[in-house]
Amino acid sequence: MSMEDYDHLFKIVLIGNAGVGKTCLVRRFTQGLFPPGQGATIGVDFMIKTVEINGEKVKLQIWDTAGQERFRSITQSYYRSANALILTYDITCEDSFRCLPEWLREIEQYANSKVVTVLVGNKIDLTEKREVLRERAEEFAEAQSMLYLETSAKESDNVEKLFLDLACKLIREAKQNSLVNSVSSPMPGEGKTISYLNCCS
Amino acid sequence: MSETNSSVAMKRSASAGSSAVSIDTIESLTELDELERVYQQLCEEEKLVDSELEGLVSQRGNIETKMLALQRMGPNLQLIEGDASQLSGMITFTCSLAENVSSKVRQLDLAKNRLYQAIQRADDILDLKFCTDGVQTALRNEDYEQAAAHVHRYLSLDQSVIELSRQGGESSAVDASLALLQEAEQKLKALVKERLDQAIADGDLAQVERFFKIFPLLGLHDQGLARFAQYLCTQLASKSEENLILAVGGELGERRAALIFADTLTLLLEGIARIVETHQPIVETYYGPGRLYTLIKHLQVECDRQAEKVVDKFIRQRDYQNKFQIVQSSMMRSVPTEKMEPRELDPVLLEVAVMNARAELYLRFLRRRITADFEVGDATAPKATAQEHQQSMEKLLKHCLLSRTMQELIGYYIPMEEYYMRESVNKAVAMDTFEKGQLTSSMVDDCFYIVKKCISRALSSSSIDCLCAMINHATSVLESDFREVLCNKLRQGFPATTLQDIQRGVSSAVSLMQSSLQQGKFNTMAMGIESAEDAKASFLVTLNNVEVCSENIITLKKNLENDCAKLFSQGFGSGEQAQAKIDSCLADLVSTSSKFKDLLQEGLTELNNTAIKPQVKPWISNFLSISHNIEEDEFNEYEANDPWVQQFIVNLEQLMAEFKAGLSPVIYDTLTSLMTSLISLEMEKAVLKCTFSRLGGLQFDKELRSLVAYLTTVTTWTIRDKFARLTQMATILNLERVTEILDYWGPNSGPLTWRLTPAEVRQVLALRIDFRSEDIKRLRRTSKRDLLA
Repeated sequence: MSMEDYDHLFKIVLIGNAGVGKTCLVRRFTQGLFPPGQGATIGVDFMIKTVEINGEKVKLQIWDTAGQERFRSITQSYYRSANALILTYDITCEDSFRCLPEWLREIEQYANSKVVTVLVGNKIDLTEKREVLRERAEEFAEAQSMLYLETSAKESDNVEKLFLDLACKLIREAKQNSLVNSVSSPMPGEGKTISYLNCCS
Repeated sequence: MSETNSSVAMKRSASAGSSAVSIDTIESLTELDELERVYQQLCEEEKLVDSELEGLVSQRGNIETKMLALQRMGPNLQLIEGDASQLSGMITFTCSLAENVSSKVRQLDLAKNRLYQAIQRADDILDLKFCTDGVQTALRNEDYEQAAAHVHRYLSLDQSVIELSRQGGESSAVDASLALLQEAEQKLKALVKERLDQAIADGDLAQVERFFKIFPLLGLHDQGLARFAQYLCTQLASKSEENLILAVGGELGERRAALIFADTLTLLLEGIARIVETHQPIVETYYGPGRLYTLIKHLQVECDRQAEKVVDKFIRQRDYQNKFQIVQSSMMRSVPTEKMEPRELDPVLLEVAVMNARAELYLRFLRRRITADFEVGDATAPKATAQEHQQSMEKLLKHCLLSRTMQELIGYYIPMEEYYMRESVNKAVAMDTFEKGQLTSSMVDDCFYIVKKCISRALSSSSIDCLCAMINHATSVLESDFREVLCNKLRQGFPATTLQDIQRGVSSAVSLMQSSLQQGKFNTMAMGIESAEDAKASFLVTLNNVEVCSENIITLKKNLENDCAKLFSQGFGSGEQAQAKIDSCLADLVSTSSKFKDLLQEGLTELNNTAIKPQVKPWISNFLSISHNIEEDEFNEYEANDPWVQQFIVNLEQLMAEFKAGLSPVIYDTLTSLMTSLISLEMEKAVLKCTFSRLGGLQFDKELRSLVAYLTTVTTWTIRDKFARLTQMATILNLERVTEILDYWGPNSGPLTWRLTPAEVRQVLALRIDFRSEDIKRLRRTSKRDLLA
């Protein structure tokens, strides 16, 4: 990295079954788009978005991974250096929820112990097709001491909140690690986005 | 008043012209004066009227001429009026004429168009007749090209015109022709299909191509391409199956055998590429641009089928899946049941990398060809169509079975390559050897050789994701596994105690000990010393290793960047995205370099604390046993027999000699820097515990100069700065009088920057026994405005 025009750099890796909407979440957040008819991701994709939180510039390096089994070994190699993992499932697909323990085993095996994990239930715009009750997911997340959030990449529900709250949490943890507790740490909800990649303001 | 009023009224009436003074007024006049005055007035009026009249009369001639002229113009006006009305009539006439003409032209134009249409229709009907006759003859003569050309002509006729013609008078004749033509068309279509199928069955390329060219004339583009592709596929299949049988059963040389499946796949893919290359011109000429995609889509089905066969055979023959399972289970458990020798994986890993590289090359070829073909075909098409075409191509190439199969192979490849790397690095660590005279041990070179080999192999697969994954694993192996090994070695520490114990009380212990070792005395002690020596060497070598690692990582990153640039310049990877991914992974890799640097710093601090500090401290405290409260005699005696500094320098020299030999120049330099900091700090403490006479101060100044001179020779760092405080102490201890300090202080300091605080200056002054404390205290008072206060 040549010019370091940011105060923090965090790596966020999205994981979860194929078709739960990882790519759409990333696109929605980084580009403000919801591209329908998205083909399956191949290998990993990589997006960057800089946000501002309490006056600090935070560069988020977001790795969007393929959910299909045959890409698993590529995906796994990114766990170790991730600061945060967004474990995504589809609330309209019981199967994607049932696979979560398997994903948690992977995290256990490959990610570093300090990684922050967020459980995300996507596609809440499809209310009538919901198969996984919110309470059930919340309970599961709590048992695994994960944060939990429900989103809709299509309606842009909670997507900003997901990434910005995560950034806040990462900053807080980074500051605790560098033992500078005195500096006020940002609380969730204080973040704001700086720019879309190609915004015409 | 009334008079003036009346005179005014008279004047008014006079100017009015009708009468000067009214008759009534005159008749009523009785006074002479009055009469005269009125008469006078009337006379004046008369004069005035006369002159007016004259003026008017004089104008008469002028008016008359004008009148004359006007009268002469009268007839002219009438003429103009006549002309104007005539002109208007003409214009109206012209206008109606023009309108008349243009409507005729319009009618003519219409007539002409109708005529053209009539001619066209006549032509079409003639054509139709001609085609009808032609088709019959051509069919009879088996001239299918000609027949197809006639049908093509018929198909390109305007169907509505034909319809119209049928309603006309000659309907029966046209109807007959049409019926004939339609029949001929159906017949031709069936015939051509049949003949093409026959030719395909016979494998007769010339005939296949012949009938393939006829299809687009009959409007059967897709069918033609599908049948042609079917022919090509059968050719492809038989060739590929033949190759696979050869590959599995054939007797091959060792070199070929190791890559036989990759070679077979290569043959298959090259074969398809060649087919595309050879047949693209025909397709383009007879089917038009933009059709290559359809052909390739059909071919890809066969390609997928054949590639799957090859890969299946590879997996079975090479035991690929099984190898993967062994590797995976041994990575999962800490104590594996069945351990795979990493070297055994070498050939399969290479073969998979080659296979993927070939597939990537092939897909890149297809992408280039299809894109170029679409570009020509979609040149005038709307953007959306072009985009749709682009998308369908991406979908075909990205999600075809060949791609998926390769992704699966790479999916197994990565953990196996990771295992290979980890196990080989572990081995290199286990087999670590160190040769005397070398700075580093074998494992550093070995480890980086392995890492480089694994990443290079991943790179040779042309899969960007595979490469990135291996860079990630390499980062993990270096940062966790390998760094941990070095860290543990450093944690064992630098054994200094043994040497120290012996050295205590024995001057120049090292040389003595070495001589006693040579003589074979102190056997038991020697044993202990030997292992201590080993541990020391091991510590120093580890420090060198750590440094080389941090350098190697930077070199590795640079080399990989160059290699990737080469790959990109060949057009692999999808542009910026791939580049950004690799850059990010490489950035992670290179950041481990600084972690090795931190480790080096920790190690050096440890070395300084355990090996240098305990030695140097007593040597410096010897300084205290040398009195610096001396007179001339002692000063001269010291001059002749140096009491401290020379021995100190010799000791330092001996102490550092070992490190100089055992450490790389860069590390040694850092170590000496740590050492000089330590010396200056300890010396300061010692000086502050001493007392000095005037000559004692001079003696200290000499000693310090010797020490600084020596240390300057052993390090490339500038050490003057580190000794700045001590040098300033020496300056103070060398003063003649207390007040002389003022020559150096505050505004008089000149270029000198004081590192000592005023309190410290007074403290040092007080070390001189000949300086009275009152003087020093007074200094504080007298120079209140100075900083010494």
